[in-house]
Amino acid sequence: MDMLNFKISRRAFLQASAATTAAAAASPRLLRAMEVELGGKDFSPVNYTERKAIPTTCHVCNIQDGAIAYVENGRIVKLEGNPEHVSTRGRLCAKGNSGMWYTYNPDRILYPLKRVGARGEGKWKRITWDEALAEIAQKLDAAIKEDPNTVMLKWGRDRTGGAIVRFIKTLGSATMMNHTSVCESSKKIGMQPTWGPDIETPDFANTKYILNFGSNVMEAAYFHNPYVQRVAEGMADNKAKLVTFDVRLSNTAGRSDEWIPVFPGTDGAVALALGHVILRDDLQDSDFINTWTNVTVEELKDHYRQFTPEWASKLSGVPVETIERIAHEFATTKPATTYTYRGPAKHLYGAYNEKACMMLPIMTGNIEVRGGYCLPRGMGYQQPQPEPPKPAKPSWMSDHPDYPLAEHKVAHLVPFWIAEGKQKINVYFTYMDNPVYTNPGAQAVWGKMFRDEKLIPFYVSMSTVMGEETALADIILPDCMYLERWEPESMPNSLWPWLGFRQPVIKPLGETRETRIILRDIIHKLDPDGSRGMKKYWNFKDGEDYMRQQFDNVPGLKEAGGVDFLKKHGVWPIYGKLDPASGKIVDKTGRPIEPEYGLHKKELSAADMTGAVVEKNGTIMKNGKAIGVQRKGRNYVGFPTHDRIINVRVDEWAEYGFNPMPTFKQIPWHKDMKDDEMILTTYKFNVHVQSRTASVKWLAEIAHSNPAWINSETGRKLGIKTGDLVRVESKVGYLVTKAYVFEGINPKVVAIPIGCGHWEYGRLASLKLKEKGGAWGAQDDPDLKNVWWEDNGVHPNLIIPVVADPIGGSQGWFDTVVKVTKAGPNDKYGDVQASWEKHVDAFKETMRYAYTGDLHRKMHPEMASWGGPDSARHKEGGGH
Amino acid sequence: MSELRLSSIETRGVPGKKRYAMVIDLRRCIGCDACMTACKAEFDVPVGVFRTWVPYRVVGTYPNVRKHFMPRLCNHCDDPPCVRACPVGATYKVEDGGFVLQHYDRCIGCKACMASCPYNARFMLPKSRTYTDITSVVDKCTFCHHRVTQGLAPACVVTCIGRARIFGDLNDPASEVSRLVSTLPTQVLRPEEGTKPHVFYIGLDRHNSEFGRAVYSPLEVLEEDRQAFNKNHGA
Repeated sequence: MDMLNFKISRRAFLQASAATTAAAAASPRLLRAMEVELGGKDFSPVNYTERKAIPTTCHVCNIQDGAIAYVENGRIVKLEGNPEHVSTRGRLCAKGNSGMWYTYNPDRILYPLKRVGARGEGKWKRITWDEALAEIAQKLDAAIKEDPNTVMLKWGRDRTGGAIVRFIKTLGSATMMNHTSVCESSKKIGMQPTWGPDIETPDFANTKYILNFGSNVMEAAYFHNPYVQRVAEGMADNKAKLVTFDVRLSNTAGRSDEWIPVFPGTDGAVALALGHVILRDDLQDSDFINTWTNVTVEELKDHYRQFTPEWASKLSGVPVETIERIAHEFATTKPATTYTYRGPAKHLYGAYNEKACMMLPIMTGNIEVRGGYCLPRGMGYQQPQPEPPKPAKPSWMSDHPDYPLAEHKVAHLVPFWIAEGKQKINVYFTYMDNPVYTNPGAQAVWGKMFRDEKLIPFYVSMSTVMGEETALADIILPDCMYLERWEPESMPNSLWPWLGFRQPVIKPLGETRETRIILRDIIHKLDPDGSRGMKKYWNFKDGEDYMRQQFDNVPGLKEAGGVDFLKKHGVWPIYGKLDPASGKIVDKTGRPIEPEYGLHKKELSAADMTGAVVEKNGTIMKNGKAIGVQRKGRNYVGFPTHDRIINVRVDEWAEYGFNPMPTFKQIPWHKDMKDDEMILTTYKFNVHVQSRTASVKWLAEIAHSNPAWINSETGRKLGIKTGDLVRVESKVGYLVTKAYVFEGINPKVVAIPIGCGHWEYGRLASLKLKEKGGAWGAQDDPDLKNVWWEDNGVHPNLIIPVVADPIGGSQGWFDTVVKVTKAGPNDKYGDVQASWEKHVDAFKETMRYAYTGDLHRKMHPEMASWGGPDSARHKEGGGH
Repeated sequence: MSELRLSSIETRGVPGKKRYAMVIDLRRCIGCDACMTACKAEFDVPVGVFRTWVPYRVVGTYPNVRKHFMPRLCNHCDDPPCVRACPVGATYKVEDGGFVLQHYDRCIGCKACMASCPYNARFMLPKSRTYTDITSVVDKCTFCHHRVTQGLAPACVVTCIGRARIFGDLNDPASEVSRLVSTLPTQVLRPEEGTKPHVFYIGLDRHNSEFGRAVYSPLEVLEEDRQAFNKNHGA
């Protein structure tokens, strides 16, 4: 802490600075006769001395870039991409460059707190760790005795590498919920049954054509930094064409060769019509379809006949000629790839949309080829032994009987389920989560639940900051920020697999403890002598010891030195050197490294084939498991699906009355929208994650308010111009915000970004800078005196009702019908209102689309022969 | 008049001397703003001021609309008007390399350099800073002199996700900046000022370059923000 107070005196600084710059001016010897290096080092601009470099992994968002933290006088002063990291290649985005402000947030919580007033009243008492742990252990003890599943843990971002799940399993509870349903779950579910993995890795750098459906890869999306490096490379060096379908002019749309605005939720229809043209004009890759999918070209042609460009054009607003032209361009330009993110997926039938998009690279044979649509490349690490067993009883909420295909869970429906009494909760833990801000309904739904002590009798938040959710807790356990903790990492964010980790760059500030230590301490308090059988799963000295148990026996890494190697390099393997002349990773000969392609065409060895049986369809079975597929006399590993080929027809979907083939369902309430109704969509800024970065000064300085985007034509019709106050009203509530009227948005869409409008999350996010800083033990930042903006925006989630994709479980973020009008005389900027009752009605409405609901059959006339919900056997949910 | 624009310390093409330059390839700029925050961190730049920033323009009529970004920073002019404007010699040009730098101990905060800069690249440091004790004097981009003289590229170049920023010695015909400037059409900002700027743009859109100083005006939607800025800035 003393180091934080370090300040070089002004006089000393000025002298040092004058001396060094003058010396530099006078002595050309300092200049070197070489091209400058791209990172790996940093120097103080004041005294030109080298700053201490420590490799780690970024975690401002969830992309997991390799990073280097630079430390000067004990303070983290600078972050940079790790030049040895194959995905990141020495670069970080605006958020990653600002990550030290998570650590040095003046409103950070540095010791345990206990609520002393009413829930949410904001009255806290500082308590010791021992007091906090004792109270938690006592509540856990009682809860476990009643039923372990009454202990719930919900996380927003869990990068602990298994520690969070280990904790809840140690307690014997299966009630664990995540954040994926408000993120991208229907994209995952659209893809997984089709080809195995839940994401694609397009080879952007080597492609010639990128068809982007609703991904804002230049600002956010999985995997913003590493992917868009390659997009820029592909566009500038390889002359690739980028075509973006989006409802608004994101930076990605604005930098594309073509931006094609669509009506929200209709990307799937456009993708199907593109497929129709490709198949109609015989531009498909018949050999790929017949060899690698479970349908024939003829079946596919028959199926796609219904999806005419005229049909899609009417739904989406994309001209027929554009669909015809793009289909021909995509099919005749090789290699080509599609890329999607939340645009198609975050709708009532998002999984169908995602699958429709994915069909395009499949039918054109662009799978696993150089410049095409590739499988993700991942790498695994180990779990410390022994591991706690699977909880004895499934949990109703984690197992959601109405959403059997949504294996990434449907967490945004939790408050309604708890209020309905579907599952009793005694102890509720949150970790790095903030649904009171991030989920649909926001404080009207989640705030209502947390404020009700009958629904949530005891609530513990593991958090670093007084977020909207943490402000409603009973006990706050101060967690460490990512730059102060140990965590294993691996992310398929380029075509080269890697393992990396986070190591503490500085010691945890104040009394904060890193997550796995907090969890261990709770278990040790609950089971001090090991007699409950819990303590044995938490046998490690410290974070580093835990890492050693995860990494030291990974083949290859072990030989390289295990954790000791990672401490030095931050990532393994090192594929080559970052070439300053090209920004690419090059091998020893100076040539750019090439990834491996055609993973599905790897051949099985004779040993693999020993004892294997080849089934009629070619699937190679061994010990009851499909290990490959035989094609043209060769034994390939194929794709990681149940029969090792691409399932264009997903039979499991048909079991629940869903269409197993590529299809599109128009959102019913979009069908007969009135003239004055529009669709509300949300989006992320280039400089913000969903909720955490509003407390980061450099990012808040760039984007702190979020006026509603309205098309010029719509603005003229409604008499609204830029700066006017507008009222945006949905079926669950309304808000009053400012308008930004311009050309870059579909006339039927109003877009309000998230990341603004905090009412908690510290003084900067909520713009309560008149209050004193450092309320919870952190050091104040004098620079906050320079904050000049007076508008922190309006948060839209309160007026967005829940929608759940009956297949993928996703929240339909972009489905909300709203009326936009000029604000009335009594409307004030920032007014937001919504009611719990109306949100409950929306919840009941969306449940009608579940396979158990009354609207399911009506939405699927083509599945008339389906035997009904009782014909489907119930399956356990999984997810992570 | 033209004689007045000649400088005795021009270093472009001088044998044995370096002349650093930046090429900004706008085909590759994705508007991520990583350069802005990397620079903030490198120099502990206070809130309210920037050494580098990325304005943009939305152009066209729906549905034919595009977005153009234009990263900005000090042009490290070969004939810098700020150096001539400074009454106390606080602003100077480094002969080898071409860096335009600032002696903080000499600066009297008169803002003559700020007024003379045709690129609005200079700013007054506020009274409060996080950990660097140098305040209330004029500051600017240094082309990361402390890094470049020790063999490293500037912080904004290193972090540039799209690899839109390329940095190097223009006097070295083998450098990447020399190759780009020799082989591709490039533009500089406000060439009519005769400042000989050393930030070169590839693919600069006239919507960004033709407005003179008006290009720096904030977007319409930020009018209230601008008023707040004027009211609270430097408080």
